[in-house]
Amino acid sequence: MNLEELEKQVTLQEDIQEIEHLQKLYGYYFDNGMYQEVIDLFSENTESVEITDHGVFRGKEGLIKMYGGMIGMPRPGWMFFEVMQSQGVIEVAPDGKTATGRWYTPSFECRPFGGTKKQTWQFGVYDNEYIKENGKWYFKKLHWNLTYWTSFERGFLKVPRLSDTPFPHADAPATAYHPYPSGYHVPYPFKHPVTGE
Amino acid sequence: MATLEELQARIQRLDDIKQIERLQRIYGYYRDYEEWEKVVDLFSDNAESIEVADHGVYKGKEGIRRFYIDLIKGGKDAKPRPGFMSIAMQIQGVVTVDPDGKTAKGRWYGFLVEARPTLTLHEGELRQLWAHGIYENEYVKENGNWMFQKLHFFLNFRTPYEDGWLKTPVVGHNGPSLEVPPDAPPTTWRPYPFGYHFPVHFKHPITGK
Repeated sequence: MNLEELEKQVTLQEDIQEIEHLQKLYGYYFDNGMYQEVIDLFSENTESVEITDHGVFRGKEGLIKMYGGMIGMPRPGWMFFEVMQSQGVIEVAPDGKTATGRWYTPSFECRPFGGTKKQTWQFGVYDNEYIKENGKWYFKKLHWNLTYWTSFERGFLKVPRLSDTPFPHADAPATAYHPYPSGYHVPYPFKHPVTGE
Repeated sequence: MATLEELQARIQRLDDIKQIERLQRIYGYYRDYEEWEKVVDLFSDNAESIEVADHGVYKGKEGIRRFYIDLIKGGKDAKPRPGFMSIAMQIQGVVTVDPDGKTAKGRWYGFLVEARPTLTLHEGELRQLWAHGIYENEYVKENGNWMFQKLHFFLNFRTPYEDGWLKTPVVGHNGPSLEVPPDAPPTTWRPYPFGYHFPVHFKHPITGK
């Protein structure tokens, strides 16, 4: 091994670490309602953001439309989101310039629902893409697939989803919205680690 | 200043840990989608065994195939049951690579949300369940790839969503299968409230004990 190969290996480890942090920071910012900070995690060349059935928001413009409207919105103390960014699998492309990430998100929430406060569980799957620009990793594409959204009291078998939530100002309708019990499989961004298929 | 070879060994170790973490997490994603053939392929051809909860010990690659395909899947042509869901989140991994860099061990928490029958593995009405347990697994590196050498999942509780673990610690466990019998009885069937401490594979990071 020469110095050049060693540098490549070190860079790969740093890339994976930095992307994992990017995703986790997204979670902390989002949960804290720090939407400007969320927007700043995305590349100027962002492809799209798609969350549950809200619809597709394209480009940095779409992104600002999606998160920007929530900046400064008052949030009462009882209302919260805790979306835990879990089980990340990061694949950095051989050229080291792009990457994919799959994550699970078990989450606890309390939010207004039909005029009352509701405690809810959610679960979903991220299928994200990242890009390295000027030595920094950014989100290029974010797609969160809802598995269930249920009330704390009743559970996902009885109430797989509390309601549908399409956003009228989206650029396009959702491309994938198949909560439990559809049996839908969010495609894997990675190849089988042993067979390579 | 370290030599190039020493630096190479250090970065290799970090890469090994990352590869093993990835293997364990991908195992989770495949098992949650009931892709049992893909799960079997994550095991080395020289794999030692698999033991999950009270199902008993299945030995060798053939035993692993019998466990996942014949027992858990319900036969190679069995179709997933509509509404069945089992998500086992792979959490808090501690991976220890042995000094030779060819074998490793890992401890993980498995936190499960499920919609499944409890009468048997495949029969009965769907119920919503919580479950929690601990993995102590072994990995082996062959042809540059990390694979499972041994998988052992100790079940802490599996409870109906509505009841909770204090009221109903375990449902859906009826002992080793008679149709697809294990090669040896279970070694750690001591769910809550036994108070059993599933041994840790790692040494204390400060005292070394």
